[in-house]
Amino acid sequence: MKKLLLLALIWCVQMGSPSALLHAQTGNEPLVKISGEVGAALSLGIKDLKAFKQIEVRRKDRDGKDHLYSGVSLSLLLSNSGVTLGKDLRGENLTKFMLAEASDGYQVIFALAELDPEFTDRQVILAHQVDGQPLPAADGPFRIIVEGEKKPARCIKQVTSLRIEFAK
Amino acid sequence: MAAARNIIFLLFIGGLLSWVACDEVPLGEYIFRYPAHFGNRIQVPANNPTTKQGVYLGRRLFYESRLSANNTISCGSCHMQEKAFTDGRKLSIGVDGLPTDRNAMSIANLLWTRKFFWDGRSGSLEDQAVFPMTNPHEMGQSLVASAAKLQATEDYPPLFKIVFGEEKVTGPRIAMALAQFERSLISSNSRYDNYLQHSDTLTTAERNGMVLFNTAPDPGRGLRGANCAHCHGGPKNYLELFHNNGLDLVSKDPGRASLTGLDTDRGRFKVPTLRNIALTAPYMHDGRFDSLEEVVEHYSEHIEQSDALSSFLQNESNVKGAHSLRLSVQEKKELIAFLHTFTDTSFINNPEFSNPFLTTRKLK
Ligand code: HEC
Ligand code: HEC
Repeated sequence: MKKLLLLALIWCVQMGSPSALLHAQTGNEPLVKISGEVGAALSLGIKDLKAFKQIEVRRKDRDGKDHLYSGVSLSLLLSNSGVTLGKDLRGENLTKFMLAEASDGYQVIFALAELDPEFTDRQVILAHQVDGQPLPAADGPFRIIVEGEKKPARCIKQVTSLRIEFAK
Repeated sequence: MAAARNIIFLLFIGGLLSWVACDEVPLGEYIFRYPAHFGNRIQVPANNPTTKQGVYLGRRLFYESRLSANNTISCGSCHMQEKAFTDGRKLSIGVDGLPTDRNAMSIANLLWTRKFFWDGRSGSLEDQAVFPMTNPHEMGQSLVASAAKLQATEDYPPLFKIVFGEEKVTGPRIAMALAQFERSLISSNSRYDNYLQHSDTLTTAERNGMVLFNTAPDPGRGLRGANCAHCHGGPKNYLELFHNNGLDLVSKDPGRASLTGLDTDRGRFKVPTLRNIALTAPYMHDGRFDSLEEVVEHYSEHIEQSDALSSFLQNESNVKGAHSLRLSVQEKKELIAFLHTFTDTSFINNPEFSNPFLTTRKLK
């Protein structure tokens, strides 16, 4: 019976949220949420991202031309959120991955070791600028840029969430 | 002693069954059957495993008009099997005689779906089912009232006992059984499925259409294409994505922006499945297009360049500098011929998905 009540309660909460949201206004600030196996979940806006050390990565886009992307190293962002990188990236932590999700629902994953500077020199950044300008609306405001990766499929656009999980 | 108890138990169950319906209630785990290339990223919540008895009950509830305020409308009224579980209307009509806000969606292969509705506002089939049951423009009846109505019947309480271990009918249990039935609605036997599994062939026109469907146009390199697969690709004819496909400069319906509040989500909707697409007219969230010809005409000539337009449709054209695909008359025909290969006639004729009350007696 208790279980049922709990179920009913969860139901009400789930029911409540979408209808409340239906009346939400547009014009909200886009954020990237970092959650899962982290010290504390947090959401970053463009200002927060600019407060980190900025680095640049050059790579080709769909137009076949080289572009200069600037943003923050994902390893820095994740370490700052308490994700097990560096000396802690060993043992079972090597079965962790980052699930990046875009506003269109597209998802890609990176093993944590692919992002850790102690494993690789390849830069993977959360970019917010291309050639000195904010990313175009349909690509940004946040896009992952993977240095040197042949296919652009993991250079996921309009990133809204980075979730750290254990492979089960 | 144990044997005697078993016999008494069997007699008891037998007694229940003869009450419940003329046909027997199947029991046990429900095994989903689908091709390996559909993948196993299926969505079944731990607290609602799929059973044969659950699917049996769910099917009856899906076609049960007592779940509506005036006992005239069931899920099956707006989700008709012969139309791949759509209703052929621009907007649906519910108990209050007024149109719904959006076009009824096809229900097929939802076993793999994680976000439901045109705006993706619901996270599970169990949660989703509550909306149509309680929405005043759909079935318009509270879950409490629905549960009370079924509780007062002769047949439903024993069926709930077989499925949930208790005769008590509750709103959440109704939704759980509905969800179990919906998960069983698997479509995997279209000509395109059989082509992918090398048991059927496509005509030349269909194959040309397939190439267009899968190719991004690149006039610089002389490549012609329609690039539909970027959003509608894969063996299930469905990718779980949300995009603005250029229908309007300013969308009347906010779409996903109603959840996120972001301007770039305005007029952004779920990329619907193309499975059985030839059977599910009219098309789009507001049912604005009556035919596939009109849909293809849209992508070929009329993409509106709003701020929220998907980056996959920006400057996608077979003509340098143009904003829509600009397909030739023949290419449009071939593309549409290919879309027809997604029709699965065994799905719309499968007796397991049909209205059970047409072949067995109505539940008392
Ligand atoms: C009055 C017509 C009507 C009735 C009755 C109705 N639906 Fe729907 N259904 C719709 C419409 C319209 C939508 C799209 C609504 C939206 O996106 O806001 C929809 C969407 C859905 C979806 C989402 C599919 C997807 O791919 O996201 C599911 C599942 C569904 N209905 C199941 C049901 C069930 C189960 C019932 C019975 C409890 C039901 N419907 C009753 C009209 C109806
Ligand atoms: C950028 C992603 C994207 C691309 C590329 C795309 N579509 Fe769509 N498609 C959508 C979205 C989103 C919708 C629903 C839009 C709405 O209702 O507002 C849709 C709707 C449709 C529908 C109506 C489905 C229904 O159930 O109402 C058809 C048919 C369709 N598309 C065919 C195509 C074809 C053919 C192509 C290639 C020429 C194509 N699409 C390319 C995103 C896309």
